[in-house]
This record gives sequence, structure tokens and C-alpha cells, in this order.
Amino acid sequence: MDSVVAFAVFGVDWEFFKPYIVLGLALGGVYALSGVGIVVLYQATGVLNLAFGAIGAAGALIAYWMINHTSWPHWLAYVTCVAFGGVVNLAYGLFFGPAFAARDPLVKMMGTLGLALILLGLMAWRAPVGGAFARFLPLPSSSHTFTVFGAFVNWTQVIALVFAIALTVVTTAFLRYTNLGTAYRAIANDREITATLGVPVRRVEASAWFGSGLVAGAAGLLLPDLLTSLDYAALTFLVIAALAAALIGRLQSLWVTLLGGLAVGLAQALFAPYASITQYRSAAPFVLAIVALLWLSRRRVVTITRTAR
Amino acid sequence: MRSTKTIIGVLAASCVLALMVTGWATGAGDKTTATVGSGKASATKSVCGLGTGKKATGRPIKIGGIGMLIPGVDFTTIGKVAKAYFDCVNDNGGIHGRPVQYILYNEQLNPAQQAALARKLVESDKVVGVVGNTSFTECGTNWKYYKAKGFVVIGAGVQAECFGTPSIVEVNMGPRYSNIGAAQALVRAGAKSIVVASPSTIAAYADGGAIKVAQAAGIPGKSVPVTLPVTDANTIVQQLYQAAGPGGGIILDFTPDTAPALMKAAEAQGLIDKVKWGSSTPIANTFMAGQFGKWDGKLYINSEFGLLDPSQGPDTRLMLDVLKKYTKIDPQAFAQMGFMAGKFSTIALLNVKGPVTAKSYNASVRKLKNIKTDMICKPWYVGNALPYHIPNNWDITVDYKGGKVVLKEKCFAIAPVDKEVAQTRVWEKKFKLNTGK
Repeated sequence: MDSVVAFAVFGVDWEFFKPYIVLGLALGGVYALSGVGIVVLYQATGVLNLAFGAIGAAGALIAYWMINHTSWPHWLAYVTCVAFGGVVNLAYGLFFGPAFAARDPLVKMMGTLGLALILLGLMAWRAPVGGAFARFLPLPSSSHTFTVFGAFVNWTQVIALVFAIALTVVTTAFLRYTNLGTAYRAIANDREITATLGVPVRRVEASAWFGSGLVAGAAGLLLPDLLTSLDYAALTFLVIAALAAALIGRLQSLWVTLLGGLAVGLAQALFAPYASITQYRSAAPFVLAIVALLWLSRRRVVTITRTAR
Repeated sequence: MRSTKTIIGVLAASCVLALMVTGWATGAGDKTTATVGSGKASATKSVCGLGTGKKATGRPIKIGGIGMLIPGVDFTTIGKVAKAYFDCVNDNGGIHGRPVQYILYNEQLNPAQQAALARKLVESDKVVGVVGNTSFTECGTNWKYYKAKGFVVIGAGVQAECFGTPSIVEVNMGPRYSNIGAAQALVRAGAKSIVVASPSTIAAYADGGAIKVAQAAGIPGKSVPVTLPVTDANTIVQQLYQAAGPGGGIILDFTPDTAPALMKAAEAQGLIDKVKWGSSTPIANTFMAGQFGKWDGKLYINSEFGLLDPSQGPDTRLMLDVLKKYTKIDPQAFAQMGFMAGKFSTIALLNVKGPVTAKSYNASVRKLKNIKTDMICKPWYVGNALPYHIPNNWDITVDYKGGKVVLKEKCFAIAPVDKEVAQTRVWEKKFKLNTGK
């Protein structure tokens, strides 16, 4: 019966819809946690990190190399992938953060684009496309599966979704209830005044760079498994969907970012069964971001004032 | 003090002497090891070119090739293996003493680049022949140019022009005919439908024949073009399953860069046993067989070439040796293509009487027929003045088992759902092109 209803409403058999929901939620989870990582860094430093995906991709390639070319344990490769994200992001923040601190947000953002391009170039150099065979970075969790209403689910997909929710909860609590979280919020309001109050701004910012980088590394570890192959270009452009999620949250709300990420993932997956629009699925992040921004700002009144000189 | 210095000096000299003796001894040992591809050719032994075991010297004979390299597809393996074969020929007397210099250019699916590279090879590099070309679109771009210059390319083709024009002869049968073979196997296995997934660049040509096979069998057939590189394999696999339905047949027409992601996605979503899986030739390789144990006994891979096992025959044994010595490439279908392209062009070079020029070499290529090899079901040929060539039109079905590629169905003829295949078989009989005599 549900199959008939689904076919009548959606034009697709319910049996075919179920796997797309699972795929969409899992991918949406990664978009959401990436979005949260981007928003937290933006809040603390004013930097919109366009290198988020590239950092995760580079970490994933290192993990791939460790697993396939050394006898080191796999867990070490996974830890390295996550740690690489934290270290690279931290290094960038320490070296370029102070220099960019007083610059326009657009300049700060373009600086991270430079980092993304450097990492992309390094990956293309050390791990060129081609070479005849695809790269895989499977996690042990993906070999354990179960079914929900007849849809195949593996534990990596569960981890992606649960991790996104957990990260949002923990980060929200962290920002609200810890001294460091309060410092983040203070810096977001006014960096200079916060500094004059004795808050070690650089150290606080460094912690944001490091934490956000760890999330980038985790996303880089999860995504190759969810996408079934390690394509560093695809991982690098993960930042697009993550940015859409962050924009839906207006770079402020972690919970709306979480929902935005899940919505982007679901939209991309649920358009797949429709032959007429499936090839436009990649536009889903932008369309959703624009619709959400229009909806969220519908009651705002635009005022134009002239500042007296 | 002086005696200490003397002792040190004697020790040092002894070490140098010992090293020299060891080096000499090692060198002597090497000489007792036969050069790969050397010896006398027989029914059970293949050699590289003349098989003399002596390095060729003198002015090189230039041969060129163009291979496509884009994200998700690496066709340069074919040219690289052709080069490896020529290297082996050069270590075995070359072309009557002259070495072959093989120039391989990469292109990025760019017609302007393809046209420029063909002209560079012919007009600037002055190659006498073009060998090992493989691309999604290079045949279409350059076949008229090759024809105007009197060249007959020996390569491995993908698009229609590779099998439908007079100036290109392929060692393979290409995705369209390979997909037809896979569809035939799936129909025989009882598939309720046929869905073919190919790269969107070639899907219109590559999928049509398999759909004709489905229609002839009275079951639905559908093409699902896939944009490369694949970034969302799970969704694509679900789309394929949705199109095929339970018990249907899905043919994956992708290279080893792309097919594994789709197969992993099918594994992850428990779809292996819900449909029957077929494939065109490229995934018939031991590397993938070793990685996809869950697929053992469940694949219908159409293979345009013989098994990659030493027991297949002397050419296969020689190819495995050549790969080992001259490359880091794993045994695979692309290696077979490169090996055959190199071997067939070498035969044409050796058959030239007098100076080797573009004119004499290409004239020699046109005369090639009844070239026996254990890598394909029937002898290979070019056939003088044919308007098009499909010399490889029989194939086998293979599967994975215990990390190896194993035979599932012996040689069978590709269904003549295209009139060109039917016409080719008429020419083969009329001109005795592959009768083996």
C-alpha cells in the first residue's frame, strides 16, 4: 500500500526511494558536520575556509598511502588523517591568521582558496588521476550492515549522521558553557575589544583553527567510504555543499547548519530517481541555500542610511 | 706508521678488486640469462621481433601514438605496453638491426589537441606509422587526416569511426561490440532486462548494440549515460538497479578507473545478487579479480581477448614477461591491446622490403592478414582496401574466481545486430582474411 501511495505522490516506487533516503542522510551528515566546522571557524576568526575539503582530501590520501604502502596499523592511518586536518589548519591559522586578521573577509577567504589550490596541486602531483585503478579508503564500519524497512544501511552511514548531530550538540554546549566558548563568542563580536580585555586572542583563534581542521580530517575520512572511492577532486569540492549548509545557517546557527546539511544531502539523493532532473542534482546546494536565505530574511527591512562624515 | 698505511692501502685495493670481480661475475651471470623475447619462434614460443637477443643499433625508426588521459579514464596503458613491446624488439635485433623509437603523446579529450598531435607525429616527428592510439574521440577527429596521408593506424578503439573508416584498424572490438557480447551472455543467463551504463561521451554509440540484442530477445533494453568522473557511485548504482528491476541485467562499460567504485557501491547496497551483472572487457584483469572476491561466479564479463594466464599460449606468456621486465603495469586487457598493436606493427615493419618509410610501412600494414595470436579468438587482419575494419569480432565470457579471471563461455561470434558485422564476415570468407591460411 505504501508503495502505491509513494508511486502516486512521487512517481517512483517506494522500494527504490528508500535507499536514496539512507544515502542522502549519510552524505547530508558529512555536509552538516563540515558546515558546523566552517561556521565555528568563521565565528571565531572571521575566515570562511574554502580549503576545508582539500584538507580532508589530503588527509585521506595520506591515510590511503599508509594503508596500502606500509605495514602500519589501519587505525594509525585513520588517526593521521584526522590529525593532519587539525595540524594543517592550525599551521595555516598560526602563520596567516595574524596577517589576515585586520583584512577584509573577502581577502581572508581568498587566502584559504590559495591553500586549497596548493593542496590540490600537491595531490595532483603525488597522486595523479589515472594510473589505471581506482583508490579506495574503506572503513571497517562499512562492512557491517543491517536493514531498515528493507533499505541497506552500513555503520559508516550511521556514524556520519550521528557524528554530525553529536558535533552540533557538543559544540553548542561548548560555546555556551565553557570559558573558551565564551571567548569565541566575544571575538566574534569584536576582536579588538576582546583582546584589550586580556583574552589571549591568538591562542583562542588557534584552538578554533585546530578544532575545525580536525572536523575537516574526519569528513575526509568518512566521505571516501560513503562515496565508495577516494577521488580527491570530489572531496575537495565537498566544501561547496558544506558552504551551502553554512550559508543556510547564515554562518551563525549551528542547528540550522545541521538541518541545512541534511537537507542538501537529501535533496541531492532524492532527485536521483527522476531522469529528467537527475543531471541537475549538483545544483541542489546552491538552490537550497538561495531559497533558505530568501525565506530566512523575508521579514527583514532593508534600510539605507547615509553616514555623516 | 708507514706499515699501517700500507695495510690500509692493501685492504682498500682488495675491496675494490673484490667489487670488480663480483661485478664481473654478476655480469657473467646475467649473460647466461636469456633476454626476454629472444630465441626461435615456434608454435609454443613467441619472440619479440627477430628474437636475436642482440641490441639494435643505428638510426631509429619512428613510430608514434596518441593516448587519452582524463579523470576517470587512463588509456595511456595501451601505448605504454606497445612501447614495452618495441623495447623488447629493440633488445632482440630491432627491425633488421634498427631500433624502433616509439613516441607516445597524451591528450585530454580535446579535438584540437588530438588534431595537433596527429600532425605533430606525422609532419614534425616524421613517424612512419601510428600505433597504439586509444581515445574516446581521436578516431573521429583524425581518420580523414590519416587517410589523406596514407596512414593506417593500428590501435585500440572506442568510438564508431574506429571501426567504420578505412584508415584505422583496431586490435580490439570496442565498447559497442563488447557490450553486445555481454548482453548476449546476460540474455543466455536469463536476464529479464538489459541496462547498459557507459560514459556519457560514448553512450550513444556504445550502448545501442546491446539494446538491439535485448529487443531481439523480447526484453526491455535501456541506456544510462554516466558523466565522468563518477563522484556518487551509490546513486548511480541505485539508478541502474531501478532501471533494470529485480532479475534484470546491468552491463557496466567502464575502465578499471571507474568500474570499481560502482562495484563497491553495489556491494555496499546489497545489490550483487538482485540483478545479473555484465561488463565490457576492461575489468577482465587479475588485479580487480583479487579485490572483488564477493563477485566470484556472479559476473558476465565480455572479454575481447584470451585469459591472462600463461597457459593461454605463447603470446600471452611473452606479454607477461614483457610487462614484468619493461613496465610496472599489471596484466590486464589494456596490456593485451598494447602488446598486439606493438606485435602487429612489428610484423608489418619486418615485412617491408627496402627502406622503411611511411609509404612502405603503411603498404605493408594493408597487406596484413591471418595473423595468429592466442590473445583473440580468430586470426587478425587488416585487409587491403576495405572501407572499414572489425577484425576482432569473436569473444569469450569470463568471471572472477579466487582472485583470478576464469573462463565462463568459450569463443562465440558477436551477434550481427549491426549490418557492418554481417558484412565483415562476408569479406572474411571472400578474401580469406582470418581463415588461418
